Amino acid sequence: MKMKKLIAAALAMSMTLALAACGGGGAASSKPSSGSQPAGSTPAASSQPAASNPAPSGASEITLWTYPIGNWKDENEVKKLTDAFTAETGVAVKVEYLDYTAGDDRVNTAITAKGTPDLIMEGPERLVANWGANGHMVDLKDMFDETDLAEINGVNEGVMKACTHTNGAVYEYPLVMTAHCMAINKNAFEEAGALQYVDLENHTWTTENFIKAVEALSGKFDGTVGAVFCAGQGGDQGTRALVNNLYGGTFTNAEHTQYLWNDPNNVKALEQLKGMKGIAFDPSLDGGKEITAFYQGILKMAFCWNIAQQLDPNSAGTGAEKTITGDDIVFMSFPSETGESQLCGGIWGFGIFDNGDQARIDASKQFIKFMCDSAHTVDAVKTANYFAVRTAAEGTDLSGIWADNPIMAEYTKLMPYLGDYYQVTTGWAAARTEWWNMLQEVGTGADVATVLAAHEAVANSAAG
Amino acid sequence: MSRALQRREDVAGYLFMLPSLIFFVGFVIIPMFICIFTSLTASNMNDTTMFGQFVGLKNFAKLFEDKVFQKGLVNTFIIVIVSVPTVCAFSLWVGSAIYKLNNVALSAFRCIFYLPVVTGSVAVTVVWRWMYDNYTGILNTALKGAGLIEQNINWLGDPKTALGCIIVILFTTSVGQPIVLYVSALGNVDTTLIEAAEVDGATDMQVFWQVKWPQMMPTTLYILVITTINSFQCFALIQLLTQGGPNHSTDTVMYYIYYTAFKLTEQAGHFGYANAMGVVLAIFIGIMSAIQFRLAKEK
Amino acid sequence: MLTANEAARKKAYKVISVIVLVILAFLFLFPLYWIITGAFKPSVDIYNPKPVWWPTEWVKTNFNDLFNKRTAPLWELAVPFSQFFTDSHKPLIWSTGPVLPAAFRWLINTVFMSVAAMLLTCVTAAMAGYALAKKRFRGRAIVFSLIVCAMALPKQVILIPLLKEMAGLHMYDTLWAVILPTVGWPFGVFLMKQFSESIPGEILEAARVDGSSEFRTFSTIVIPMVKPGIGALAIFTFINAWNDYFMQLVMLPSGSNSTISLGISTLQNDTTVNMGLLMAGAALAAVPIIIVFLIFQKYFTQGITMGAVKG
Repeated sequence: MKMKKLIAAALAMSMTLALAACGGGGAASSKPSSGSQPAGSTPAASSQPAASNPAPSGASEITLWTYPIGNWKDENEVKKLTDAFTAETGVAVKVEYLDYTAGDDRVNTAITAKGTPDLIMEGPERLVANWGANGHMVDLKDMFDETDLAEINGVNEGVMKACTHTNGAVYEYPLVMTAHCMAINKNAFEEAGALQYVDLENHTWTTENFIKAVEALSGKFDGTVGAVFCAGQGGDQGTRALVNNLYGGTFTNAEHTQYLWNDPNNVKALEQLKGMKGIAFDPSLDGGKEITAFYQGILKMAFCWNIAQQLDPNSAGTGAEKTITGDDIVFMSFPSETGESQLCGGIWGFGIFDNGDQARIDASKQFIKFMCDSAHTVDAVKTANYFAVRTAAEGTDLSGIWADNPIMAEYTKLMPYLGDYYQVTTGWAAARTEWWNMLQEVGTGADVATVLAAHEAVANSAAG
Repeated sequence: MSRALQRREDVAGYLFMLPSLIFFVGFVIIPMFICIFTSLTASNMNDTTMFGQFVGLKNFAKLFEDKVFQKGLVNTFIIVIVSVPTVCAFSLWVGSAIYKLNNVALSAFRCIFYLPVVTGSVAVTVVWRWMYDNYTGILNTALKGAGLIEQNINWLGDPKTALGCIIVILFTTSVGQPIVLYVSALGNVDTTLIEAAEVDGATDMQVFWQVKWPQMMPTTLYILVITTINSFQCFALIQLLTQGGPNHSTDTVMYYIYYTAFKLTEQAGHFGYANAMGVVLAIFIGIMSAIQFRLAKEK
Repeated sequence: MLTANEAARKKAYKVISVIVLVILAFLFLFPLYWIITGAFKPSVDIYNPKPVWWPTEWVKTNFNDLFNKRTAPLWELAVPFSQFFTDSHKPLIWSTGPVLPAAFRWLINTVFMSVAAMLLTCVTAAMAGYALAKKRFRGRAIVFSLIVCAMALPKQVILIPLLKEMAGLHMYDTLWAVILPTVGWPFGVFLMKQFSESIPGEILEAARVDGSSEFRTFSTIVIPMVKPGIGALAIFTFINAWNDYFMQLVMLPSGSNSTISLGISTLQNDTTVNMGLLMAGAALAAVPIIIVFLIFQKYFTQGITMGAVKG
């Protein structure tokens, strides 16, 4: 009896607590998670926009959803940036953090439920080719003047092209870019006597040397030394770059209207990879898990890599350029016949979802201006751990911001190999799904030429 | 019954049903009707209107050509057909092995077998992912150590083993409740009948099948129902472990619906098509439930 | 009578079965053991390609990571139904808690969600189950068949309409979007019907003759008789709601409205896999519910047993 009463009391208490805690209306939140907004401040009273900023808008809060882009996944870092923005404009920013496995699903459900955020941070393959093309985004063309375009084109002409839809609208304001590369475990290569095949100075190697290196490695170590991961789309730029570069295959046509991966060179590359001892097609890994296995020292090379990983392998905080066991990590270009590869680019920036509320759209534009084209751009870029897409922002020179960082400086050696940004081809989301499904089938013994053709056909049907 | 009395029963019955019906109709029946209706349209994510263009049975026709959907349907039924009997058999065995143990041991076993249910799929998958891992997983380490295999098996990465792996996890998160049920059902079996049978010289097996088993029939049927329900709830395992791969070997209809609706964005947001799958699945499940309950009535 | 041979065989079977059971018990305990020890392992152990059975050193870093990674206000109290009246269709928040690690908020959300789903389910299901079992109202057979058919229906089937419905009710991204469909799931009604069947009709008849109102009969006679069933259903719903993942994934995009399962899964799906963090999160999600279960398990086992045997 006593026990019963006790339980009843405990239950009652937990209920009232819970009910009180979340209030009848549910825990739908509308307050900024940063407690930074000074109490009692209204937008009108506290906003003292810098001369360069647009007029203060009526919105008091905007939401930003960001994918894990460098340290833009780290709340502590992002908060510093948004706090600075709030202090200057009085507009609070509520940030949600997405991941690459379920992030797209969540944006899509939000679109369905008409609950999209104001701002989203990712690359053109989603913002332009996908949500932009389907009419969910705001055209940002009016945000670019001559100077802006000159500054951006001064770094790479392809960036603005990637951010612009074929209908002429600009659905992404770019912030940072990088070239995706691969990485090798230097100690393992040394042990296997494979370092001779690698140009450590220029971070390049040829297909022939890659094959020899894998042979040497699998002679020394049991099992898989490099995994063609294909569990999902995460990190798929790595497998695409590997296959395309090996014998110079293509992925799309130059106009980005059609997928052309059913290319004899790609067939040859896939046959080659499939036949290599030490290289496995692994449908249990995606890019992130491949990185972890590489970081653990199990795999001796990682095909999913970039500068952010080089600075903080596996995001584990155990030191730059080192595996957990302390082996040295060297970033490498993908192997190709000449050694001069076409690296897959990554471009990241902001887009605005069209929620029909002009005040919030204006506030979002203010946010983009603040992050991408102002004195604060340095911090925004540095937080992303990538390279700025422009030479200067409102008078602040951006070309030298990584000069004090030897790893970043070394990485610039790869930037000239940055290839075509083909990820904006229509039907991209479908196409990349076909790609990893194709790899799974190749890995389980299907005929390479047949599946390559079959999946390319499906991708092209999505491209329309 | 007089008409006045019938009226009274009607009013009282529906008043008592009302709160539940509000939720049931509002969040199951109405969505189900919308689902049926949408399945006849080309509705998609980018539509601004509630329903897309009416296309008749086109979505259903497409389903019959969709290899992935068919594979998903087959996998869904493999999961049900494998997991339901094995869960029942296993829990019956565990139940009969522990119900005579002393109280402490009995409670302990009951709790332990219930733990994976309580721990929850998301937390449990974290561990299973590592156990199945191709490179460092304990399963490969153990089997290699025992000399049973030479090469690592890529449990979740091999189309031959992946579905089995999912079923194993589902199994561990399903047996808890059936065991509890069987233990008490066995405890409630009429002992005089058992004694009588033993005096007549019946073997243990005979006692079990001819005396205990018939008495546990209601429990067994109940277990069949809840295990079937449970088998359809494997979404989290698939989303977090395999995403339907490799080669769609772990795709289920449930996962494919979600995938069609929200994963792939161009083909996608094909709500009409996704809902057509939902309708087909609902019909299959309806038939299965009807059969189960028909059986239950006969017994 | 038993021969000596048979007795020996019986004994051997018993011994073997106990051994097998103990081995199985270890296998079933293993995930929990691994989660809890893993939560306290340093990264060298976590990432060691060889399994490390016991932490070489017990550290709190994983929990620190978990708590530092995301923050959220501990609570946000909304004015009920205010979302129907504001321009943005977001509820008015009248009280916001201190900003703390989001994991605490996730726990509070999960508790709130599970308790609300449990209470609503128990009340509605007890009433409906009683009506279905004891009231001879017209249309009863149809309602019951609908319930039986809908019981096994996976939520994915009605996912899209449900999402649109919740958006229309301005409940998308609130916990109610998960709670209400959970309550709508008719398994509870089915279970309570099975329980209510056993109430002797004579007692109800006697109550009616005495002039007891329908509601009085229900609250003073029916409820006490189906109490074990309500207990079982309560725990069952609570655990299900706690561990549900799918509806949360679809309905709750905000970090501050996230639940603990969903929170962990987003940690799992980051670009790279931080296993230590994941284990800490999994431990945080699993341990409270296991404690709840251990406290209530006696009532639970009693409850589910009685319902089924009578079925």
